[in-house]
Amino acid sequence: MSTRQQGTVLFTGILFLVATTVVIQLWLLTVSMEALLSGAMRTLLPAAAASSVLLFVNAGLLRYVFRFDRQIRSSK
Amino acid sequence: MNDQETCTACKQDKKWRDDFPIEWEGDNYVSRREMVKFLTLGSLFLAVANWLMAFAPRFLRRGSHNRQLLGLSDDLRRNGSALFRYPTAKDLCIAVRTSEGKLVAYSQVCTHLSCAVIYDKTEQSLFCPCHNGRFNLEQGAPIAGPPTRPLPRIRLEESDGRIYVTEREA
Repeated sequence: MSTRQQGTVLFTGILFLVATTVVIQLWLLTVSMEALLSGAMRTLLPAAAASSVLLFVNAGLLRYVFRFDRQIRSSK
Repeated sequence: MNDQETCTACKQDKKWRDDFPIEWEGDNYVSRREMVKFLTLGSLFLAVANWLMAFAPRFLRRGSHNRQLLGLSDDLRRNGSALFRYPTAKDLCIAVRTSEGKLVAYSQVCTHLSCAVIYDKTEQSLFCPCHNGRFNLEQGAPIAGPPTRPLPRIRLEESDGRIYVTEREA
């Protein structure tokens, strides 16, 4: 299997992982909205913090994708 | 052999190469990379939206603090209720004096589908006749039916035989 093919498989895996975290973030947003309307303010900060953690995970994965991409281009 | 030569020639043709820089086998690879980029951008927006929501209560003006006369204390007897409007003429509210003599008031608008709630003397609760929703008198919390959010509380003050409405909580 060539490096590019390996990259495609790897990127598919990363894509699913990122998509899953985005869905979790969407869920957190709806929970926050519900909490805001019902006056349950204690939920808002932990939900925002959790969403930020997921963002950092996504940013880390994206950084990995770009580095991998750069590596392939330089080895070409 | 001829075809191969033609293909080599076409690879050297820079004009179309600039327009289509990605080879066929790398197409999937690039689309996945772009998708990860797009999703991460979406993730950033969602995180920002979550933080905005977390700090929204600090910036939003919640509740009302106008002091308003509701009526005489004697007019609202035990196990009785009175309707009033606060803070504007459009905001319907209900005040209840419980069987123990405690005075409570809530918005009359059901948090399910905005029907008017009424005081149920027998069950000692606020009842929404539209979908059989019920709220307790202690906190206005939903105890039965479809409502999931509590009724906004109205603070009352009793002094010199008069009842005043002082604040509407969010």
